[in-house]
Amino acid sequence: MIRLRLRWKIAAWCSLLVVALQGIGLILFAQIGRSSAIADARMEVATAQRVFDRQIAHRAAQLSQAARVLAADYGFREALLSQDRDTIVSALDNHGGRIGADLALLLALDESVVAGSIGLPQGLPARVHQLIEAVRNRQEGSGFAVIADRLHQIVVVPVLAPVPTAWVVLGFQVEQGLVDDLRGLTGLQLSFVRRGARDDWFLDASSLPPDVGQALLARFRNASLGGEDTVAVAVADDDYVTHVHALDIGEPGEAAVVLMLSLDRALAPWERLFRESAALSAAGIVIALLASAVLGGTIAAPVMRLAGFAQRVQRGEYGGPPELSRGDEIGELADAFSAMTGEIANREARISELAYYDGLTGLPNRAWFGERLADAVGDALRSEGTVAVITLDLDRFRMVNDALGHGVGDLLLQKVGRRLRETMRDARDQVARLGGDEFAVMLPGADLHRAQAVAQRVAEVLQAPMNLSGQVVDIDASMGISACPEHGEEAAQLMRHAEIAMYQAKRGNARFKIYDPADHDRNVQRLSLLTELRHAVENDELVLYYQPKVATRPDPAHHVEALVRWIHPSRGFIPPFDFIPFAEQTGYIKYITLWVMNAAVRQCGQWLQQGLEVNVSLNISARDLLNPELPVLFDGMLQRHDCPARLITLEITESAVLDDPDHALANLQALRATGCALSIDDYGTGYSSLSYLRRMPVSEMKIDRSFVMHLLDNPNDEIIVRSTIELAHNMGLKVTAEGVESEDVLNRLRELGCDLVQGYLISKPIPREQLERWFAESHWAAAWPDAGRRTGMAGG
Amino acid sequence: MLRKVVTARRRALPGFVLCALCGLAEAAVITLRVSDSASGRALDSVVASLVPLDRGELPQPRSASIAQANKTFLPHVSVVQTGTAVEFPNNDTVRHHVYSFSPAKVFELKLYSGKPAKPVIFDKPGVVVLGCNIHDRMSAYVVVVDTPWFGISDGEGTVRVSGVPPGDYLLQLWHPRRLGLPELPPRPLRVMGDLAESVSVDLKN
Ligand SMILES: [Cu+2]
Repeated sequence: MIRLRLRWKIAAWCSLLVVALQGIGLILFAQIGRSSAIADARMEVATAQRVFDRQIAHRAAQLSQAARVLAADYGFREALLSQDRDTIVSALDNHGGRIGADLALLLALDESVVAGSIGLPQGLPARVHQLIEAVRNRQEGSGFAVIADRLHQIVVVPVLAPVPTAWVVLGFQVEQGLVDDLRGLTGLQLSFVRRGARDDWFLDASSLPPDVGQALLARFRNASLGGEDTVAVAVADDDYVTHVHALDIGEPGEAAVVLMLSLDRALAPWERLFRESAALSAAGIVIALLASAVLGGTIAAPVMRLAGFAQRVQRGEYGGPPELSRGDEIGELADAFSAMTGEIANREARISELAYYDGLTGLPNRAWFGERLADAVGDALRSEGTVAVITLDLDRFRMVNDALGHGVGDLLLQKVGRRLRETMRDARDQVARLGGDEFAVMLPGADLHRAQAVAQRVAEVLQAPMNLSGQVVDIDASMGISACPEHGEEAAQLMRHAEIAMYQAKRGNARFKIYDPADHDRNVQRLSLLTELRHAVENDELVLYYQPKVATRPDPAHHVEALVRWIHPSRGFIPPFDFIPFAEQTGYIKYITLWVMNAAVRQCGQWLQQGLEVNVSLNISARDLLNPELPVLFDGMLQRHDCPARLITLEITESAVLDDPDHALANLQALRATGCALSIDDYGTGYSSLSYLRRMPVSEMKIDRSFVMHLLDNPNDEIIVRSTIELAHNMGLKVTAEGVESEDVLNRLRELGCDLVQGYLISKPIPREQLERWFAESHWAAAWPDAGRRTGMAGG
Repeated sequence: MLRKVVTARRRALPGFVLCALCGLAEAAVITLRVSDSASGRALDSVVASLVPLDRGELPQPRSASIAQANKTFLPHVSVVQTGTAVEFPNNDTVRHHVYSFSPAKVFELKLYSGKPAKPVIFDKPGVVVLGCNIHDRMSAYVVVVDTPWFGISDGEGTVRVSGVPPGDYLLQLWHPRRLGLPELPPRPLRVMGDLAESVSVDLKN
């Protein structure tokens, strides 16, 4: 295919080139030929016209001479001057006939007709008198004249006796013979055309075929021909170069000789040349086609062989390159191919080594193992056989590596690999290193029972102490076993299940464990969590719990922290720790935050309508801070639920700001602009930077429970708490302490100047109804009798 | 032919009588100065003849001779009285074939040398153009007039006619270049004595 294409492409292009060149050549040739033929024809016509003129003059001279001789004939003169009419007429007839004259007239010196060989009913044409006058003036006395309605070439000679005594007019009719003679001499078509007194053109004589002659007359009738010009005209479907040569015949009427050269005739030699040249061109094209096909073949055939070779290389057959002992570029290409395939073969060998073998242990790697396992599973399924997989993970390998160095770790891995290999009894069994300290064994044809036996043997072999460069190391391994078809019908599935079993074994401190589908379910649970979480948000399975905060000094306002809780319809209460980190990982926290925010704002607005002013704080995650829509959405919620922004405090973790400070700070400013308060949560746990703190538009700082819980026991914590409170107050921030669980801590915090406290001492997070009851009944809430009442409200 | 001869004979007699009278009466000399009417120049070879109105007796015509020498007729222009016998002596060594197709006298003297046996008698008035059938370029004019009183102008255009008896005449003029042209109208001339006249000749019309 390639060869045909390339070969014929080359041939086609070469031929096209030749055809184009020849074609252009032929077209030029034809054009030059035509214009040259026309030019030639004009020349020929011009020449012919001169020949014609000379011939007519010559003939006139001949006729004149003959006439003079005749007129000088004594007997003729005697007869003419005999005064006897009959004698004169017979002499005119007789002697005129001697020189072939068609008519002979005798005129007196006064130019009156004495006698004539023909009758002259119309009298003598003026032209004759002109010619006599010309003779008198010693000029040529010959010309054309119409006598007796026929065109004649006439000569006028005086009858000398010995002085001019009379005139003899001799007429030679213009007829076919003359035309034929002239045609023979000039080589042109000749026509004598004349317009008579009746204003119609007709032919006196013509060498043209009758139809062409009529066509020519038609041209004259249309007055489209005339004058003495050489023009190319179409007459009766043929192109002629014509020359119209007016004849002076005197009055009345006019006459002309039309010389015509058929362009066909003029073109004939060119056409012959053209045909020959076209034939040569055709031959050239055929030769070019053959030559280029041969050339194309010489190029394409080796290319084809190289292409075939390349295809074999593609299939992975690195045979010898095609034998092309050529010195040209194609030979070089073949050499390059040869060198290239050698290199490719080498590299491929290395790549497959790298791809399928583990350089350290010399064992096949995970990729190789996966492929072989897939083959084995396929075989097992086809033959209704079995295949078992054991995955193996060394225990405490990291310890060995860290304690004794990588070199020893590598030695250990090599030795384990060797022992594993030596343990295999069946030639079909395969050992591979999956990576790190993980190995795998494939046991084609083995069932779980045999796999267990192998695992037992491996465990025993590995238990034997190993001497590694003088270090004796004890090693244990955990193994997982899975088998086809019991645990799956795909290689990857078997591997995963074996690994799950292996982790179960490790967790259970067992040497090996057979895969148990129940183990798998726990993993699957997590995967469905996201779906359920989405379901929860959409179906209001989430609820807000509120943990009250109390002021260490009299404060008219209530303060609560809103916390999200998930009440699963079947699984019941799900602790935040079980889904919040997950939601943060997956980004789903965004929707949870929006739900919480909306619910908290709505609740806050409702409480306010009930006459209960409650400051509600809620948590914003790091991801939320990067959501640029959050401020707008938040503002929309405030509007929708008629909730004053000042009642809402957004709690953010300091680390959230550090991830992307620019965007986070911009978003914080936007949130702050809605009029809400911002609070730094868990201060002190992250890598707080005072400079960031300064830039954050916060009005509150929360001290993490971890510092508060051990406030009284750990002097460091107290230092941290105290300095934090001082710092916050210096910056004009309020301070809230979390995790207050005892009166002592509360007192200490009050001493340190903490503004608000929250913790189990006061209340755990509780649902709304319970909180409203708490507001009404708790002594904490009652500690500040005015708290929450609209009357005497002092702002937030 | 016969008629012409008779006519000639009849005229011969009165001419003889007139001549006798001439001797008695006093004859005049007429001198004409001829010029070309177009150019005014003197014109030679003009033939002037005085034809008497009264055709009385005229003298017998005298003989004349037109010789051929050097393939030329001599004289080129002659004027003779009607009935004059003209000799054509050939002084050349080559032969000549003298002819005339002129209506006034058609004749031919076939190839001859020396002197032809018989003279040619110009028996009819008119202009006779002579040619030689051998030598096309030879030509001569013989003006035959019915009078013995005539003359030919010389190089000065002078014509002298002597011995003209008194009486009324018609003056007839002719010139070779007027060949083929109609006769010039004659002019009447009364001769009382010697006379000198200037006349012009139109050569074209
Ligand atoms: Cu002669």
